[in-house]
Amino acid sequence: MAELFELISYSFFSKALLAALLASISCGIAGTYIVARRKVFIAGGITHASFGGIGMGYFFGINPMLGGAAFGLLSALGIEFISKKTEIREDSAIGIIWSFGMALGIIFIFLTPGYAPNLMTYLFGNILTVSDADINFMIILCSLLILFFILFYRIILFISFDEEYAQSHKLPVNTFNYILIALVALVIVLNIRVIGIILVISYLTIPQSAANLLTRNFKHIIIYSVIFGILGSITGLYISYVADLPSGAIIIFVFVVLYLAIWLLKYFHQKHRLHRQLK
Amino acid sequence: MGKIIELIDISATYGEEIVLKDVNLTINSNDFIGIIGPNGGGKTTLVKLMVGLLKPVKGQIIKYKANGRDTKNQIGYLPQISRFDTRFPISVIDVVLSGLVSDKAVFKRYTQADKDKAVELLTRMGISDLYSRPIGELSGGQMQRVFLCRAIITSPSLLILDEPNTFVDSKFEADLYDILLELNKTMAIIVVTHDIGTISYYVKTIACVNKYLNYHPSNIITEKQLAAYGCPIQIITHGDIPHTVLKKHNH
Repeated sequence: MAELFELISYSFFSKALLAALLASISCGIAGTYIVARRKVFIAGGITHASFGGIGMGYFFGINPMLGGAAFGLLSALGIEFISKKTEIREDSAIGIIWSFGMALGIIFIFLTPGYAPNLMTYLFGNILTVSDADINFMIILCSLLILFFILFYRIILFISFDEEYAQSHKLPVNTFNYILIALVALVIVLNIRVIGIILVISYLTIPQSAANLLTRNFKHIIIYSVIFGILGSITGLYISYVADLPSGAIIIFVFVVLYLAIWLLKYFHQKHRLHRQLK
Repeated sequence: MGKIIELIDISATYGEEIVLKDVNLTINSNDFIGIIGPNGGGKTTLVKLMVGLLKPVKGQIIKYKANGRDTKNQIGYLPQISRFDTRFPISVIDVVLSGLVSDKAVFKRYTQADKDKAVELLTRMGISDLYSRPIGELSGGQMQRVFLCRAIITSPSLLILDEPNTFVDSKFEADLYDILLELNKTMAIIVVTHDIGTISYYVKTIACVNKYLNYHPSNIITEKQLAAYGCPIQIITHGDIPHTVLKKHNH
């Protein structure tokens, strides 16, 4: 335990903890939305498409995260638009955008002279190299998300559950869909630094699925997934430090163990209750 | 008795195909209309036009202020429940309350009066004990009742039900129609159905929809008349006289 407190006193580690906390909050909220609306595949598409922007950033010498954000937003709005307004089926559209973004990223990085040293950071994330600027952006985004979900909670829930009925009540369904998917895209891109392209989907789905085992109330799923996110991140970070293993992969490992533990607890609890009722 | 909604020379398309052509229909405040017709005949399209989910390619839809209500949410609507994601994390009471969202100012919370109203409606439907349950744990018939509560929590001047008898157990079906008769005292009702047999005891008039709309100002209709309306539907008789549907009678 003393070791843990000593760890926290290092500035890089306390920054990593802060990043994990912000990732858990932002992904807890955005993830609950995408899991409830079955948009996990869209989130995957946005994540990978943003790699195109990262590569472009490298090539043109601008901040890769800026390029990533632009690609993430465009692909999010593009998928939403294509699936609503055109004949192309949504999952096919996602497949196209997903792979095209990755392909662009690879081409640009290949064309960039010299070695791209931080490339691995984008693919797998590195919570220990998160910058102050990243943290600041995350704080702004988290505040924005929390505010938006508190102010419009009932409308978001209503539209998510029954878009058509909300539309028949003249609610601005499309505007909300676009704003929400744009927020999801921003959450994804800002968390790429922390968790990486390959692993970001874990923060958006595993804590939420674990939470969903315990409750089927939208609001409670958000709260539980934030808590699970924080628990998993801190435990994962500690294990990765002690065992000298990559932090992102360990955090996901902890998430899945947490999920299985809750599943088992629920299973035995239900069995026990049934057994008692039958007596 | 006043007009609630008027459809004038409406045509609607689905893709390149004309689904409805030159449809005229006026709904008055104490109407109880059964809309019947074959599958693909345009029944659901007609409903979507009325609730504003679809724009006609030709014609005009006029909504009137009825019972002093704003034209905004004057229509309550019970969609076909097969299209819901029943695993969505939402409780029964929240589904009912969501009917009020568009009536309220954006940042306003639900008041105690709103919640009381929701519980009162659920009680009326006999499912108040389920109010905190996730919607996905309910049976089809129970779900149908929840959506009916959502549709009427705004006290609309017109209630539209799209195939309400799907998934409904026969016990609730009779209850449902009694509830509708009660509701019909304060709102107009349109029921879209393929099961013309049962519904015709309750409706006052019938509209046959098969690309064109033929309005039949009575609830007694024969297969011959249906054929003349271009609406070839088999009548499943629940009465004594074959091939004719009669007004509610004593068995």
